[in-house]
Amino acid sequence: MDKTKSTNKIYYLYRILALFIFLLLFFPAVNPARISSLISKSTSLLTTGLSYSRLVENMGRPLKKLWVLPSTMQLLRYSAVGIDIGICLAAAGACLSPGNRRCKKLGGFLSLAGGILSLIGMIGIRTSYVQISATEKPDKINPVLPGSYVPILIMFALMILLSLFLILTAGKAEKGEPFFMEEKYRLFLLLLPFLLLTLVFSYLPLWGLRYAFFDYKAGDTLSMDNFVGFKWFTMLIRNAQTRKDILRVLKNTLAMSGLGLLTSWCPMAFAIFLSEIKNARFRRIVQTFTTIPNFISWVLVFAIAFCIFSTDGFISSMMINAGIWEQGKNFLMDGSHTWLKMLLWGMWKGLGWSAIIYIAGISGIDQTLYEAATVDGAGRFQRMWHITVPGLMPTFYVLFLMAVAGALNNGLDQYLVFENTSNTSAIQVLDLYVYKMGIVNGSIPFSTAVGMLKSVVSVILLFFANGVSKKLRGETII
Amino acid sequence: MAKTKQEKLEAKLEREYYRKHRSQIKKTPADRVFDVINYTMFGCFTLICIFPFYYLFINTISDNKLVQKGLISFFPRGINFDNYIRILQVNDLFRSIGVTFARTFLGTAMMVGASALVGYLVTRQEMWGRSIWYRFIVVTMYFNAGIIPWFLNMSMLGLTNNFLAYVIPGIVAPYNIILVKTYIESSIPMELQETAKLDGATSLQIFFKVIWPLSKPILATIAIFGAVGQWNSFQDSLILMQSAPELYTLQHRLYIYLNASSNLSALMSAGSTSGISQSVLDSALNGKVIKYTISMVTIIPILCVYPFMQRYFEKGIMLGAVKG
Repeated sequence: MDKTKSTNKIYYLYRILALFIFLLLFFPAVNPARISSLISKSTSLLTTGLSYSRLVENMGRPLKKLWVLPSTMQLLRYSAVGIDIGICLAAAGACLSPGNRRCKKLGGFLSLAGGILSLIGMIGIRTSYVQISATEKPDKINPVLPGSYVPILIMFALMILLSLFLILTAGKAEKGEPFFMEEKYRLFLLLLPFLLLTLVFSYLPLWGLRYAFFDYKAGDTLSMDNFVGFKWFTMLIRNAQTRKDILRVLKNTLAMSGLGLLTSWCPMAFAIFLSEIKNARFRRIVQTFTTIPNFISWVLVFAIAFCIFSTDGFISSMMINAGIWEQGKNFLMDGSHTWLKMLLWGMWKGLGWSAIIYIAGISGIDQTLYEAATVDGAGRFQRMWHITVPGLMPTFYVLFLMAVAGALNNGLDQYLVFENTSNTSAIQVLDLYVYKMGIVNGSIPFSTAVGMLKSVVSVILLFFANGVSKKLRGETII
Repeated sequence: MAKTKQEKLEAKLEREYYRKHRSQIKKTPADRVFDVINYTMFGCFTLICIFPFYYLFINTISDNKLVQKGLISFFPRGINFDNYIRILQVNDLFRSIGVTFARTFLGTAMMVGASALVGYLVTRQEMWGRSIWYRFIVVTMYFNAGIIPWFLNMSMLGLTNNFLAYVIPGIVAPYNIILVKTYIESSIPMELQETAKLDGATSLQIFFKVIWPLSKPILATIAIFGAVGQWNSFQDSLILMQSAPELYTLQHRLYIYLNASSNLSALMSAGSTSGISQSVLDSALNGKVIKYTISMVTIIPILCVYPFMQRYFEKGIMLGAVKG
């Protein structure tokens, strides 16, 4: 009994090791094959193996001048291919380990083979490092054995040892024993790839928040040397220019979200009045056509705006043809009333669509209520106000609270496409500001810090809205 | 087909009802005024929503000289489709259309397949650690590291200037997974799965033979909304493809063209890597018409799937509501 328990522990160690090794494939930061600073920092082990052109993208000159021999790079590449395959084999072996003895045994052999293949690949990398160190221009090539080389080597060695141990302890499978794994593990294995995708694309970005605490420029590495603590956060308050910018951006953000909240009853009114139209065909046409704008992107909304409001757009041509204007006006370059215009574009795009949920709500209201109210002498507006509106209120609350929770997340697209030199100061919302600072201007740590503060406030708002909802209605929204 | 028939029938009944009872429902003058105002308001808003599309369209199919003078306002004149033919000769644009179609098909197919499979798997009670893994996926809807960490993560994974960035991150879509899971739990009887299991079907067989065919309605919903999302997405192209113009999506290309000067030569240098072919140059194609035509090319696929989307609206609005 004790023996199986300790073997089980070793199995867990083995699976976790396999998971780690597997994830290594995707992280350029721990790529053991980055033996020269000319290899791009964003090259992972997987990319090294998959794409030779990416591996040598910065090496055009050294390769041409033969400072680096092409054969060295090829060796490096094929070593990486070997490691990639080896890692996949090892991972596959670990996946088989929850099965019966036969599965375990096969898994062990796969991991063993994978480990050995990876080890050979590591030797290949080492060899190409030795070759590249012999270059005549060490200052240009900067040959270096990555710090991750030795730990990874140890991991592979450990993998080999573990899988050897497991093969030996798995015991002999009876002859004719079929491969078998319990249902619960098979189901889990089916789910596993998706869990890894979630991990990599939704959880891993959180790790990128650490950039907010470093003095980082594109291409640098993070180390304790450029750790700056809360410098970027305090800069928001201390630096006069930044403070001014942030206040302006916050004002825009809150103003536009506020306008959105103030008009959030509009879809409900739209639905209520639409339901007063008795002609089913007309109602259908209205619904069909007012919903279309929701499905086009903001770029296309801008294209629409362009064809109507630009210098040679619809309005200008009409005015010129009518002889009222001498020449066309470009309304899009006009920087006045920006908040209002953005609100109107938002409504043009979203009103019909947002009304649908209320239209569905109206059809769910008990018709006898209306009949009873009519008998009691209620007029049209009284019925609307006392029956329809209260019936839709729960939906309205939920949507309103969600909008409050998302007050800082105006999105980027709308403001980005409508931005131009004349309205830029009034249109910059937080999302756009972060994009401009981080992606366009390249101040990554600062914009990460701003984005981080935004996320924190958003989460607080979400919990606040959720708390309010719980208190008022006894239901949560998340 | 059956559904539209039923709808027609309902509309007919409704009309008949009102015809019969018209004498009983007395309209006061106030009611009439209300109706007139109501109809006018909705009529106007509908026109505002639809007219720009119409205006854009008639300008792309009219005689370019008249368009240039701004003489096409309400009706097309000199109808021809040359602009559409010429626009396809712009190499960059053609490639962008290809990239956009590819990402829409691949991205949607992968997302739908994954949502169906994951949605099914998380309904299987016997899975090891089921509720933990389900929460692990679903909770990602409520937080977001922000655009910069996302960008750094993508470049760390080598997904910048890489077509895969369009399709892989979208494979796991938590909200769609919830939709599929709820649908399977509420609309597909457990007995079906049990019977299949008794007959010796494996989990995957149950998925392909029972779950997949029976959850088609919900899969169609997420497919169509997913496809529109893919077609419309613009940020990933803008941020991740900075040095790979050959991978720009149609939306991104349109954005570039719209922002370029109306001067054709400036447009060419701003928007294209390989230039516009001579025949396009020779033609009377001018900046304004290029912009209009590209816009139309970008809109048309949406308008084509739109009629099919309408019957999925009720489910789709839930999509929007929870995501928002």
